Amino acid sequence: MAALCSEFGDLLQIKKQLISVISLCKERGLLHSAKWASELAFALDPLPKDELPPTSPLTEEDAQDLDALTLAKSYFDLKEYDRAAYFLKGCRSQKAYFLYMYSRYLSGEKKKDDETVDSLGPLEKGQVRNEALRELRVELSKKHTAGELDGFTLYLYGVVLRKLDLPKEAVDVFVEGIHALPLHWGAWLELSNLVTNIEMLKSLSLPDCWIKDFFMAHMYTELQMIKEALQKYQNLIEAGFSKSTYIISQIAVAYHNIRDIDQALALFNELREQDPYRIDNMDTFSNLLYVKSMKPELSYLAHNLVEIDKYRVETCCVIGNYYSLRSQHEKAALYFQRALKLNPRCLGAWTLMGHEYMEMKNTSAAIQAYRHAIEVNKRDYRAWYGLGQTYEILKMPFYCLYYYRKAHQLRPNDSRMLVALGESYEKLSQQAEAKKCYWRAYSVGDVEKMALLKLAKLHEQLNESDDAAQCYMLYIQDIFSCGSCQEQLEHAEVSTALRYLGQYYFKNKLYDEASLCAQRCCDYNDAREEGKALLRQISQVRDQIETPSADLFAPLSNNNTPVRRVSPLNLISFTP
Amino acid sequence: MASVHESLYFNPMMTNGVVHANVFGIKDWVTPYKISVLALLYEMTASKITLPERRRLNKLILPLQQGPDLTLGQFLKTVEECCPQTAYAVKLRLHEMADGELKDMEYFFSTLPTPFTAFDTEAYKTSVVGLFMRHMLLAYNKLSFSQVYKLYKSLQHYYHSHYAKPMDGQVPALVADDSEMDLTSIEDTVGDRVDKEELDTPLHESELQGPLSQKQAEYFLARQAYLLKNDENKALKPAALQEELNNMLKFNPDFAEAHYLNYLNSMRVQDIFLSAHSLLHYFDRLILSGNDGKSNGDEGYGRSLRYAALNLASLHCRFGHYQQADLALQEAIRIAQESNDHVCLQHCLSWLYTLEQMKGSDSTVLTEDSVKMAAHFCLPYLASLGIQSLVQQGATQGKTAHKLMDALKDTDILHWKHSLSELIEISLAQTTSIWRMYGKSTMSLQQAQLLLNMSSLEPVNFGVQQNNTEGFAVVLCHLAELHAEQVCFRVLGCSSKQIILHLKEQFPPHTQHAKLWMLCDLKIQFERHMNEGKYHLAEPLVTAIAALNQTEGLYRKAQVLKALNRNTEAYHILQQLQARCEKAKCTEMVIRVMLSTAELHWESSGFSTALPVLLQALALARQHHLQSLASETILHLAFTQLMLGVPEQALNVLHEAIEPILAHRAVMDKGRAMLLAARCQMAVAGFKPNRQGQAAASALDTLNEAAAYFSQLNCKERLRDVHYLQAQLHRSLGQILESNKSAMLFRLLDQELQSPAPPVSMRL
Repeated sequence: MAALCSEFGDLLQIKKQLISVISLCKERGLLHSAKWASELAFALDPLPKDELPPTSPLTEEDAQDLDALTLAKSYFDLKEYDRAAYFLKGCRSQKAYFLYMYSRYLSGEKKKDDETVDSLGPLEKGQVRNEALRELRVELSKKHTAGELDGFTLYLYGVVLRKLDLPKEAVDVFVEGIHALPLHWGAWLELSNLVTNIEMLKSLSLPDCWIKDFFMAHMYTELQMIKEALQKYQNLIEAGFSKSTYIISQIAVAYHNIRDIDQALALFNELREQDPYRIDNMDTFSNLLYVKSMKPELSYLAHNLVEIDKYRVETCCVIGNYYSLRSQHEKAALYFQRALKLNPRCLGAWTLMGHEYMEMKNTSAAIQAYRHAIEVNKRDYRAWYGLGQTYEILKMPFYCLYYYRKAHQLRPNDSRMLVALGESYEKLSQQAEAKKCYWRAYSVGDVEKMALLKLAKLHEQLNESDDAAQCYMLYIQDIFSCGSCQEQLEHAEVSTALRYLGQYYFKNKLYDEASLCAQRCCDYNDAREEGKALLRQISQVRDQIETPSADLFAPLSNNNTPVRRVSPLNLISFTP
Repeated sequence: MASVHESLYFNPMMTNGVVHANVFGIKDWVTPYKISVLALLYEMTASKITLPERRRLNKLILPLQQGPDLTLGQFLKTVEECCPQTAYAVKLRLHEMADGELKDMEYFFSTLPTPFTAFDTEAYKTSVVGLFMRHMLLAYNKLSFSQVYKLYKSLQHYYHSHYAKPMDGQVPALVADDSEMDLTSIEDTVGDRVDKEELDTPLHESELQGPLSQKQAEYFLARQAYLLKNDENKALKPAALQEELNNMLKFNPDFAEAHYLNYLNSMRVQDIFLSAHSLLHYFDRLILSGNDGKSNGDEGYGRSLRYAALNLASLHCRFGHYQQADLALQEAIRIAQESNDHVCLQHCLSWLYTLEQMKGSDSTVLTEDSVKMAAHFCLPYLASLGIQSLVQQGATQGKTAHKLMDALKDTDILHWKHSLSELIEISLAQTTSIWRMYGKSTMSLQQAQLLLNMSSLEPVNFGVQQNNTEGFAVVLCHLAELHAEQVCFRVLGCSSKQIILHLKEQFPPHTQHAKLWMLCDLKIQFERHMNEGKYHLAEPLVTAIAALNQTEGLYRKAQVLKALNRNTEAYHILQQLQARCEKAKCTEMVIRVMLSTAELHWESSGFSTALPVLLQALALARQHHLQSLASETILHLAFTQLMLGVPEQALNVLHEAIEPILAHRAVMDKGRAMLLAARCQMAVAGFKPNRQGQAAASALDTLNEAAAYFSQLNCKERLRDVHYLQAQLHRSLGQILESNKSAMLFRLLDQELQSPAPPVSMRL
């Protein structure tokens, strides 16, 4: 912690670095990196006048290319890439060279997009490629071996390699580029897209710079290591970036990923206050509002975003969520479709559209939407889960097992998939497997608190009364430990548990516990009669055996859970 | 061209911002190759061609239209083979377009005979050619400005990549010699490309072939699927096919059929993960297209659901996951029942009994039900499949032979009526196996030849003369074993070995049916080594056999142990094996085990204890009509009787068996039978000295015959016995010279064998 503070101690220095990198990025047309750096710079205190970093001095070459560069930059800004490249052709300065190559790259990308519409056949469309990539690669690799590339051109080289599906080479080049110019956030982001697991992340040799902490935090979020990510972000805030909207949004997304809804909501609200016209990440915010069914807030958000910019993917997703919450699923699907028109690779929208079709009972369209989501990203567990649900609705429990298993594989610690798996196994009368699933779901932390109840019912069916009672006990403890709102919500199930426990204790002649349970039963409408009946039975039996057993039961009644004590982790009884 | 701009409504089939072409019913696209084909058609209609050349060209048209895009070099070469003159004209026309301007291409399309005007030519609108031309014209007319330009560019590229250096305005095709041009130009192109793309070769292998149009892709898939089913060897290699499919799916992720082929391909390499994944993917895709189609939602869509579950069951069944398969099947049955789909239910039922059979439980009742229902719903395929399965069960359970044969004959009539070529093959293979099981080698041979000489009956065969299905593999294996039994590897230049080699070629080791010939090959080798007394060579084969078939492996192990005189171990194994086989109702093996047990009894001189075992075996063999095993048992019985001192009885019994043995059994068995007969004759003669001369002479004849058989087999141990007996007989007849000769032969063999001779009398 102390080391980190000292690293960040010189906020002044960081601010200076940021300001200089902003101007560098702007000169080269790297808008997103400039935006990120500016956001961060804005979060820091302004510099006194004499502290402002001087603009870098011009070299001889720069001076020579100045006119051409200015001309080309203006063309570039107007998206006339070929024209920009033409006028930059002879230039020798690094800056001009980067812009030259970059505009050639962008021109290729733009043409590719245009081509896609005008292709000569359905099977050709996959073949449309950025034709410039190969030439760029040849030229850049020559310069690369000669060691003539600076940080920005290395970044571009890496991007070209990545587009050519050469991830290994791309990673090397990005790392090199980051070493050459650590402050360029774009290079870090590109690298983060290529890192697939934690081992790979650890094996990278990255420069020791304050920006590395941002990268690591981002990476942890991507790799679903939320705890570590939150820790990193917390450190960054403490180090002086407390005003950064970027960090706040990232933390909020992290909380969203671990389903800590309240925290995430609070952070998003804070974010909206600080940055009311922000559209990025607002789809995540709307997801949270949706989960909490906060209609007015969602409605306000939707209207607000439409006013800002209605043709953004995020806006469309928010509106889709809004309609979905109002149960207007057709309209919701329409807006998700619109989001997909704006960006066909928008993963969330495909999945959400699948959910909408599910609501509309249009299973085949839902399957299609989920399949598309999987095509975009094979690791999208929600889409796999959605497919499983679809087939479950179609009453194909065996068929849906495959999908649930896939989802479970991707999120091994998510209880929802485990419960779904358990239910499917139960339907296939594979009780042993089902028990394993439910128990595991409980062990990883059950979100919906249903696993134990289901497990208990399963034991009840199989006449394993001890295990069933044990599970009901745990269930009741679980429900009562998490507050009154839950209690209200699920009272029907609690009463079932109490009723069963009462009967169980009664059968085992533990009358004190039985009467306790029966009394609690009376708190619930549906179990009241049975509770009373049980109480009467207990008092009858007690009358019969009154005196002789008084001292006999004394030691037992101290024991509040006299069930056969099986350690919760003892799975022997659950294996077939 | 239907582009995004025209379609304002959203389409779920949209990927990467482009609407799938299928939606608008356009399946064909103009490509440079198609233009060449059009040019060819144009030339064919326009110019005068001699009749034989025209015939050859006509034959070419369909493959050219349906096949994947060829490079110009390939295309011109194929045309040239038929008619050099037309090829030249086509080349000229293409040259005109490619080296001219855009307007030349436009002019070409405008001069094409429109199928609507040309009534009397081949290009009439309903002809194959006319249809193709119409498609092309329509597709061409729909192209937007930039697309036309792009088409022209790609035509130029297509033409010039063939003639790598069309520099200095010269027309290479017109100047240079054609054949030479072809060769050099191809090399040049390759070289050029390598130069340009040396940096990223892995990317562009796939690109060389160019994209397939919808139709071409369908044709490709259909062809490959057909080949996978009928002749796996001729299909693309698994890796190559996978690459091709990945390519296709990259271009068009909505092409559901490709996923199905992917599934089939993964099954070939036993990849459960990928095959399950592809199968489910296919059905996920299919569900939508089924819903889209003309049928009402319930029909198309529910239907594919049922079949999806059924296919999943079959997948698990193939991989031997019986429990999983059972669950999937139950699901399919439930859904089919809910929607009253009798056909699907019928399919489920036939899978159900297959599954039961694979699990090893008796499924006769289920099968019978299935056959009845299939007949009721007029599903000849399923019905006769069921009957075949019943016949198989009946054969192993010892049902009356003529009933089985009758049933097979009846189904055959059904097959020919509906031309179910697959089932005809299976039926022939089954008959071969049944005859072989009954020990009628000639009948079996005949049936095998019948199948092998039959050419493919499929309505569409992609140049496949003969199929390579399981039936063929089974028949070839039988053939190899039969040949091996007759020791044909001496006479006909190793015919059994050649058959095995052929099998190896036709069914490479990784393919589905390869296990059949592997086992067969191992068995043949094992038998040979055992016959030649090379037990140390036979021993390692046992492990290999056990890997392919556990029961067989155990049996062979017992045999080797017995041969090596480790009788206790052998006995234990045999006991174990018998219990197992009786449980599995594997009669053939039970009988063989009993025979081996009897042989073990002999070793301990327990001839009288061997008798009941042998009698039991004989009863079993007769009951199941297993003639070969019955005669083998009789051989054993006769030997036992001989040892028990009743040679007359033995000779009587032997006479009963000797005919079928000489007619149907292996050379080894023939030799053994003759040897035994000779010994019986000698023993009988020993009691009646007055008729000794005559008896000894006939015994000598028999021995000579046996010696001929054994020398054919190179079975030196038995040959040694024969020589010993011969020497004895000659001596008793007073023929000293012959006796000495035989004694010398015996001495030579004895030296060669080194192992001490076991007492002659002690074995069969």
